[in-house]
Amino acid sequence: MATPQGYGWSRGRSTLASIRLCVLQFVADPQWLIPSMIAPVIFGLVAFGLFANSGPNFLVYAILGAGMMSMWGQTLYGSGWATGQDRVWGTLEPTLQAPTPYLYVVLGRVLWNVVSGLIGGLIVYVVVVTVNGAAPTLPNPAEFALLFVFVMLTLASVGTLLAAVYVYTRFAGFIQNIGEFAFYVGTGCMFPVVLLPFWTNPIALLFPPTWALDALRYNGIPGYVGFSWGFGWDLVGAIATTAVYLGISTSVFRRVERQVLEKGSLGDY
Amino acid sequence: MADPPAIETQRLTRVFESRKGFLFTEKTRTEALRGIDLTVEQGAIFGLLGPNGAGKTTLTKILSTLLLPTSGSAHVLGYDVTTQVEHLRPRIGLVLGGERGLYNRINARENLRYFADLYGVPRGEREHRIDAVLDRVGLSDAADRRVEEYSRGMKQKLHIARGILHGPELLFLDEPTIGLDPKSARETRKLIRSLVSDGVTIFLTTHYMFEAEELCHRIAVLTKGRIAAHDTVAGLRQLVGGDRTIEIEDYGFDDDELAALRALSGVSKVVTEEFGARIRATIRIHAQRPTTEDIRALLSNHATLALRERRTSLEDVYLDLVEEEAN
Ligand SMILES: Nc1ncnc2c1ncn2[C@@H]1O[C@H](COP(=O)(O)OP(=O)(O)O)[C@@H](O)[C@H]1O
Ligand SMILES: [Mg+2]
Repeated sequence: MATPQGYGWSRGRSTLASIRLCVLQFVADPQWLIPSMIAPVIFGLVAFGLFANSGPNFLVYAILGAGMMSMWGQTLYGSGWATGQDRVWGTLEPTLQAPTPYLYVVLGRVLWNVVSGLIGGLIVYVVVVTVNGAAPTLPNPAEFALLFVFVMLTLASVGTLLAAVYVYTRFAGFIQNIGEFAFYVGTGCMFPVVLLPFWTNPIALLFPPTWALDALRYNGIPGYVGFSWGFGWDLVGAIATTAVYLGISTSVFRRVERQVLEKGSLGDY
Repeated sequence: MADPPAIETQRLTRVFESRKGFLFTEKTRTEALRGIDLTVEQGAIFGLLGPNGAGKTTLTKILSTLLLPTSGSAHVLGYDVTTQVEHLRPRIGLVLGGERGLYNRINARENLRYFADLYGVPRGEREHRIDAVLDRVGLSDAADRRVEEYSRGMKQKLHIARGILHGPELLFLDEPTIGLDPKSARETRKLIRSLVSDGVTIFLTTHYMFEAEELCHRIAVLTKGRIAAHDTVAGLRQLVGGDRTIEIEDYGFDDDELAALRALSGVSKVVTEEFGARIRATIRIHAQRPTTEDIRALLSNHATLALRERRTSLEDVYLDLVEEEAN
């Protein structure tokens, strides 16, 4: 047989292969339908009950709160979880042994999760609007939608780095479960960060979604009072922190891989 | 320029440090490899033979870039396994085998497509290549079935298919027949032998002497992290030279009797094994005497003694080497 030598890998091809694998596994296993389809419905109903009649903009709050909650699960949790799954299945070793850097496998999963997170967000929107009987009046619907996608990308940047933790240790799931609540509240997924004790703010600002969500609220809620620096700097902060996250991910993954090869913990599960 | 050796290691060591417990951690230190000097030329099948825990998987993973050595150096196909990983990975294949390591919910073909992309099989050749390897390992008919429906033997074949998918120059097979039923094991060995005709060099680990003997041209015996012997099959036979082996079996032997056997001139070793109610003593002899008659005479009070002389096998050599290292 011919010897192809295996130099045909590329970043784009690996990322696409990873997305394809996500889709195939999704289709093969209907249990995925629960978090991706049913959870947003529940989140939407709960948030509607929680925020109902709590001011003129309650509808947007409900949509954002529930939307973020379901997207958090999909985008962030899903990306790291898939790497943990690679550990459990024993597929982490053959995948890392391939010439492609693992980062591009993770990127594929993150992108897939962004898409399913957006679908979750859409479900929340439909549920809340249906229950309410009317759509919220957004000042700039098109901008709002764009910002919404942008928030997903900031979540994805966190998800990418989180996957590195799953490569590093089989205890990542445990760590994430503890950190999840803090992150969820700390980044202002459910309610604005400015309502939290002041000391939490500097930590929250290390996470791109904190900035992006504040910008989203400025855009979608008339009279919203968030960070004092306002919408423009929120956007700058979100872009800058996301860029840093994605910028360091290559070297973070390279280091993490080196570490696990040194420790010999790649096969642990 | 002459081809570099397939594998060349110098004073290679690997130490595992692990912690047990949560609050009161206890550190354990395992020296899995204690200075491996090994050269494997390209071509044919090389066997690394050793008992469980000898360090076979550790060495395989270091050579295939899944583990870093603690000290020493290792070059594979001329590339340093720690610093030239990007050149090395496309050129080697690794089969760790087992129940795990595959995506069970999707079919074999999709598993191979995924890894073909990650391993950089040229896009235009991908489908053709997948068909070819599926055919090679005999999974063409099952290609579109989910891997979770596969038997252990079929999974092993799929592991091998993935290992050769990108046409590696060197293929690592870590205990390829472990856990397989005898028929699948035989098929797998046949498959491995056939791969050599593709020009791929194979580095195979096993804890079965007969498997190494059947498949490999050269064999290194690894025990407790050290290479105890490294030779051709014929060379290993030479190690025992004209040695003879006599096996005796009965319902037990006294310590005195065993001591008397060991004390006979010409006897280099007596090893006992239990077989249910019976004990077998294997006597290794490096001279013309004692003969079977001498031994029967010595144990004349054993009415039910079974006694036979046989040629010293490689299995015997292996067990001797492994045992020497343990003592
Ligand atoms: N990741 C690891 N962490 C700690 N100890 C390990 C690890 N991998 C292997 N070992 C130890 O190293 C030794 C050699 O193991 P291994 O290479 O798996 O042997 P073999 O494959 O020959 O059975 C064993 O004592 C084993 O317990
Ligand atoms: Mg092993």
